[in-house]
Amino acid sequence: MLFTLLSHEWKSFWRSRSAGKSLAVQIFLGFIGLYLLMVAISVGIFLKTFIEKGFPGQDTILVFCGFILYYFFVDILFRFFVQELPTLSIQPYLGQNIRRSQLIQFLNVRSIFNFFNLLPLLLFLPFTIVTITAKYGAAASANFFISIFALTLFNHFLVLFVKRKTIVNSWWLVIFFVAIAVLGLCDYFKLFSLSHVSTIVFSKFLFHPWLCIVPIAMAVLSYLNNYRFLYKNLYLEDIERKSKRKEGADYTFLDRFGTIGELIAVDVKLLLRNKRPRSMLILSTIFLFYGFLFYKPQYLTNGDWGFILMGAIIITGLFIMNYGQFLFAWQSSHFDGLMSSNLHASTYIKSKFLLLIAVSTIIFLLSTLYGFMAWQIVLIQIAAFLYNIGINMLIVAYFATRSYKAIDIDRKAAFNYQGTSAAQWFYMLAVMIVPTAIYLPFSLLINKWAGIAALGIAGLISFLLQDWWIGILTKEFFKRKYLILQGFREK
Amino acid sequence: MIIVDNIGKAYGSEIVVDIQQLQINVGETVGLVGNNGAGKTTLFRLLLDLIKADRGQILSKEKNVATSEDWKSYTAAYLDEGFLIGYLTPEEYFYFVGKLNNRSKADVDEFLKTFDAFFDGSILKSGKYIRDLSKGNQFKVGIAACLLQNPEILILDEPFANLDPSTQMRLIKMLKEMQEQKRMTIFISSHDLNHVTDVCSRILLMEKGKIIKDLQKNEETLKELEQYFKV
Repeated sequence: MLFTLLSHEWKSFWRSRSAGKSLAVQIFLGFIGLYLLMVAISVGIFLKTFIEKGFPGQDTILVFCGFILYYFFVDILFRFFVQELPTLSIQPYLGQNIRRSQLIQFLNVRSIFNFFNLLPLLLFLPFTIVTITAKYGAAASANFFISIFALTLFNHFLVLFVKRKTIVNSWWLVIFFVAIAVLGLCDYFKLFSLSHVSTIVFSKFLFHPWLCIVPIAMAVLSYLNNYRFLYKNLYLEDIERKSKRKEGADYTFLDRFGTIGELIAVDVKLLLRNKRPRSMLILSTIFLFYGFLFYKPQYLTNGDWGFILMGAIIITGLFIMNYGQFLFAWQSSHFDGLMSSNLHASTYIKSKFLLLIAVSTIIFLLSTLYGFMAWQIVLIQIAAFLYNIGINMLIVAYFATRSYKAIDIDRKAAFNYQGTSAAQWFYMLAVMIVPTAIYLPFSLLINKWAGIAALGIAGLISFLLQDWWIGILTKEFFKRKYLILQGFREK
Repeated sequence: MIIVDNIGKAYGSEIVVDIQQLQINVGETVGLVGNNGAGKTTLFRLLLDLIKADRGQILSKEKNVATSEDWKSYTAAYLDEGFLIGYLTPEEYFYFVGKLNNRSKADVDEFLKTFDAFFDGSILKSGKYIRDLSKGNQFKVGIAACLLQNPEILILDEPFANLDPSTQMRLIKMLKEMQEQKRMTIFISSHDLNHVTDVCSRILLMEKGKIIKDLQKNEETLKELEQYFKV
């Protein structure tokens, strides 16, 4: 039975609507996966050399022991964000003649096939086999290997359990993060050292092979705990999010903008009430801090304003780029309705523009705080902002009229490539090429400030022609309206 | 009101809609029946300019629906959940539709009062987003949003399928009233032969994309349809 269920899962992976269609995306992701795999393997193979280089004169194996707990600590946090819960896929089986224990077994086994569970093996196995065997013998090596694998599984089932708990009760989320933060801060302020604890614990493992019982026991307990929890809660209503009472919101200040205001209000609700746009918003907020990465002191002192400009375009345009790449697709689930309601396409596009401009303006105002680093940054950001609302927004909207893929806004955003198609890749190219093409001639012929000014002025002129652009985009939209509609209907 | 002129649509080699000529007049209540795959929903989508016809055109008030957007101001339709905005509460959705049709909030509230019985207490102030409503309740929202637009043409795809019996009866009553009082042109599809012959003054029977029967309703209509669908 377990095998049948796993084979269904295999089929659902390969036959999913998005699998066959976006071959380019699949290949791209495949390459990324392969790349990560290669990196992990080479890090694993050269781990010994890395440690010798990084910690000269110290016992490599003891340094290695000190790392293990750190790894699993970070692993938990990372898993928490990225690892998905394999829950809803069991819905069709609940009514069939399958024992509950079998279903839970399936859920648990299915979840083990995960990149995170492969990673520690790739990272640590070579070192364990070569270095530890050479010095402490096969028993110690096997002990390490088993322990690391067991700890991986412990983390795995612990995260699944905590994530499931947080769905039912969000206090678990708070407790989880407080615990992680306390541990991290204690280590940071040297109240106690994770690496010290790790060294002490794992160096014992070298001499006492039987100690691997402890991690094994931890893994088994973690598994059983998860099993027990699922066994008790394998009802759809428990797995589904406990819904709070939803209240309507009313943005009266948007009322004065008529239909467009109403459309923007709907968009704002879309952003706030759905998983994927919400995490997109959070990501955008994090991107705001990219300034600390882009605006490097050496650029400022050397007057490398071109680099600063690049950073400024990304920061002031982050909402335009992140939200805009799926400009219409966000509403794919009700696009049929929008297109047959009493609403002209140009009004619809205009409302999208106003939303992008409004949010970008807020981001721009926040980003002026970088002016404290150097006043020139503000000037450059003004140029970048004008470029973004004048030109970048048009590019985004144009590619939106060529993007036919629906997205499910109720799924999380991280590592979610649903809805990504060739249009998005072309857009990324355009995002890099267009500003360079405007900036470069002026900066080479006159100077860097001329290039920046050219970009800002070009943006401003284009911005003033917005209504004309909307007319053109509406025509473009109508050319491919049926393709968009058809694409959005295929979920 | 609506003229379907030599319209055709095929997916690959499969013909989904193939209609030479069809005219629907103001105030007519037209029922579309046919088995699955007969092309009912596709025809509706063509009427709403949601898919592109391979040939021919559909005129609404003498204007091609694919080139003019004028029909949007007097046509209301509900085909499936794709017409609802799932992350809004029903009230928010009604206000949204109201706004698109220049109806104020107070106006919408007033209108919704007449739907109390139809909603049966499970739509308004339910504390749920539309996506969390049951399918039947979503349908009620969709239908109410259509009527809120006070349309001249109303298009509903299988309106009876997801509704409970009392709501079905209420809907039938409402549709009849709309037709009588407002001369609304109503175009519905259904698998329920009793209901559709009850509501409609004219029945179109579709098979493999073609309209094979165009019946003005009389006492024989139901029998004739039952004869066709007999296994």
